[in-house]
Amino acid sequence: MIGCYDFCGHYEWTFAWIDKNFGREALQDYWRDAIAGDSQMHAAMAIQAKGIIGMEEYWGHTLAEEGAGFTSVRTNDSFRIDMHDCPSKGFLIDNKLENHCDYCDHCMGWIGPTMEKAGFVVDHEHNHRGTCWWAFRPSESLTPSEESFEITHDPTWASEGTVIDRYKGATHPDQKTTDPSLPPTSST
Amino acid sequence: MLPYLDKKPKGAPDFYFAINATFRFIQERFGMQQLIRYWGDLGRSDYFKPVADDWTKRGGTAVAEYWRDFFAAEPDAKVEVISTGSGVEVQVSQCPAIHHMRKHSREIVPEFCQHCYYVSQSLAECAGWEVRIEGGAGACSQFFGPKGSFAPQDISNIKRIEKRL
Repeated sequence: MIGCYDFCGHYEWTFAWIDKNFGREALQDYWRDAIAGDSQMHAAMAIQAKGIIGMEEYWGHTLAEEGAGFTSVRTNDSFRIDMHDCPSKGFLIDNKLENHCDYCDHCMGWIGPTMEKAGFVVDHEHNHRGTCWWAFRPSESLTPSEESFEITHDPTWASEGTVIDRYKGATHPDQKTTDPSLPPTSST
Repeated sequence: MLPYLDKKPKGAPDFYFAINATFRFIQERFGMQQLIRYWGDLGRSDYFKPVADDWTKRGGTAVAEYWRDFFAAEPDAKVEVISTGSGVEVQVSQCPAIHHMRKHSREIVPEFCQHCYYVSQSLAECAGWEVRIEGGAGACSQFFGPKGSFAPQDISNIKRIEKRL
């Protein structure tokens, strides 16, 4: 049997298997159809039905269940997460597992399409070291959040050698810019 | 002994949804033979090499230890691991994955239980062992023994998951 205890390990191995055998487009289809559309259908239903409140309900449950270190803030027009200890990437780092070229892509791979269907877009940065921030806002909102994120003030956020992926108003994993060793930034 | 350790003592059961969804995606997009290939490739991959190496080195003691530790980390698993003379029996009275997915009314891939055979068999082969499985759909018996212990697996002995209306 393959289990849920080491799920992130064989999940990441699966990314590499699909990418190698069927290509990156198939991998992105997997994130969209299998993860967003099937596995995480409860997230999609909550967010489509309740918007920002649904986001708070979904991530409140799932991040607690996964043992994440995070803070979140819900406002009238956005939901934000500062993830300072990602349980998923953290598992891979702790166990020295790296089969796929960019594990962190999978989050935008399923969250992006989920948000798009619900009428939201995503501002997001991750540093490939188990820390990231997220802001979800209505797609008609043209301005990304102006407030800086707590996590970007951590001295380890953009330490030497760190590669930061940035998304602004995105709904697809390829809508990113990648910058090596950038200084800490706000979300603007 | 588990090869990879988490900070939590048990896994997050909603990940069973993703395991099931992965099987469905590969089966629907690429076909059953590719799903069987996926399971086999995973079992014989570097991912499971630490397990295969331990089974090769320490035999049945390692096999029994692995499954005891494995199921201890799976939420709501009810499993007994029995060391026999030359092999190991894993008696699953409540499969944690099927239990969780049924609890949440998820549609389970009918061939879900076959993954236990294909993944474990390819892993066991790397260690000079083999596995045979009977039952499924929530409870099963898994027999591990050194290569040559058993007749070939009859896949029809592994139950399909029927839809619950």
